[in-house]
Amino acid sequence: MGKVKTVIIEDEELGRALIKNYLKDVKNNEIIAECENGFEGIKAIQELKPDLVFLDIQMPKLNGFEMLEILDEKPEIIFTTAYNQYAIQAFELNAVDYLLKPFSKERLLDAYEKAVSRLKMNQPGTEKISKLIQQPLDDIIERVVVKSNTKIHVIPVEKIRYLEAQDDYVMVYTFEGRHLKQATMKYFEEHLDPREFMRVHRSYIIRLDQVVQLEPYGKDSYVAKLKDGPAVKISKSGFKSLKEKLNF
Amino acid sequence: MLHPILRNRRNLIGYAIIWTIIGALNTFILVYFNDFGIIISVLESFIFNIIFATLGIGIWYPVYYTDLEKNKISNFLTNHLAASSLAVGLWVWISYVIMTSLFANDEEYMVYLNASIPWRIGIGFLFYVLIASNYYLIIYYQNFKDKLVRESELNSLVKESQLSSLKSQINPHFLFNSLNSISSLTMVSPERAQDMVINLSDFLRYSLSHKNESLTTFEKELQNIDRYLKIEKIRFGERLNVEKDIAEPCLRYYLPGLILQPLMENAVKYGIYESTDQSNIEILASCSNELLEIIIRNDYDPDFISKKGEGIGLRNVISRMKIQYSREDLVKFNKTENVFEVKLLFPQTY
Repeated sequence: MGKVKTVIIEDEELGRALIKNYLKDVKNNEIIAECENGFEGIKAIQELKPDLVFLDIQMPKLNGFEMLEILDEKPEIIFTTAYNQYAIQAFELNAVDYLLKPFSKERLLDAYEKAVSRLKMNQPGTEKISKLIQQPLDDIIERVVVKSNTKIHVIPVEKIRYLEAQDDYVMVYTFEGRHLKQATMKYFEEHLDPREFMRVHRSYIIRLDQVVQLEPYGKDSYVAKLKDGPAVKISKSGFKSLKEKLNF
Repeated sequence: MLHPILRNRRNLIGYAIIWTIIGALNTFILVYFNDFGIIISVLESFIFNIIFATLGIGIWYPVYYTDLEKNKISNFLTNHLAASSLAVGLWVWISYVIMTSLFANDEEYMVYLNASIPWRIGIGFLFYVLIASNYYLIIYYQNFKDKLVRESELNSLVKESQLSSLKSQINPHFLFNSLNSISSLTMVSPERAQDMVINLSDFLRYSLSHKNESLTTFEKELQNIDRYLKIEKIRFGERLNVEKDIAEPCLRYYLPGLILQPLMENAVKYGIYESTDQSNIEILASCSNELLEIIIRNDYDPDFISKKGEGIGLRNVISRMKIQYSREDLVKFNKTENVFEVKLLFPQTY
């Protein structure tokens, strides 16, 4: 096995310096990049394909979990954070370890060894962070991160009008355009604020304040007209709960 | 409310003693001033007084159900007139019936008894008024005591919530992240690590020792904010830029201790934690005519921060200002596209 290519993603300089210092004497390790935020992190991971990433969770603009969401190929991850409430999510993401700041050199090297032995077993994909599990930091999400070609978009939830299921993806319609996101409708149903959004159909979640009118559409089905044109299908049960919610 | 006399044995014995004294006085008067025999005197005062004593216990109920504050004065008078007439009527009638059946043969006593009815009625009403007013006093006193208990309960509740809010002002993540920075500095720059430990200790000491309701000078509060910002500056380096414009005399003005800390934490949280570029925090203070005005401004990126709610820190500050100054117009927010501003007014006399 060659050198373990490592990337440190951490927004505080001293935090990065600490990890670098701890790893200084480890043979066979090479720190190939240091990143200050999630955007830099994604770029580094996609371009440099590291084996191991030390990842802070709380970072500006794009947090550690959001960053992982949009990566196709994921390296081994060791989380470093001052927050202990995300440990469960981290392990559900199959992370190697979860280091609570401040951590000792021994603790970090221990985690590093675990990562190395996982890399040696060399089971790409299966053992690594699974693609489809999404773990928002909070129960209710405030933004959605999407990737189109090479660009990353962070969409504040306030800008979402409605969502449409498309096979393994969800099309997120905003006031400005639309973005395809690899996620399930269930994920959005569970993590969008229920006071603002409602799942009205197997394939649709709408923002409640966008609804202008409800109309019958064939037998047992309805459509909701949204502001400025678009109309989405509503199921029978969706129609009932929507009518209750909106007092139509 | 329980019956004040029947509620416990002590009160009942006290009531009995009072009536025994009245009865004894009554007997004394009958023997020495009216020249009646001892037996008839004792019996007469025993019968009259024990009946009124019993009725007196019952007077509690019209008092209890005729609240002084909730009833109109006419209602109040009607109720008591009816109750007192009934009580006095019963008293005189029952006592009269018993006494006549016992001493029908004693002509001298019968003359006295018949002649005494008008003034007995008078005394009956007097007793009624005395007992009723005593009951009202007891109710009033009890309410007063209840109110004191409630108030002290409320006070301790307020204190408790304030204390817990104070504790939550020391953000554990700030603490752990700072400790991590110190841990890192011990390897690269022990002197700076020591500086930061001292800074952090002073900051914690100030935050923990502070009595919540007490006022402090703006100067002291500002010193603590400087400590806090120095720590964050070590963590975030160039990303944090602080500008201050503070008129010197304002430093001697007073404000509630630690009131600015949650606002600074918010400014850092939304300005720095969520920004990849340099972010500015401004602290402005001006003062005039017994009023200190402090403005805290921070940059924020509206695309990345949810604008929902004001956050616990801000709510805390608003409620503390309300409790401290009993005014609601002292905290103002202003949000432009990418600058958030909090303006606080601290009256110096209130």
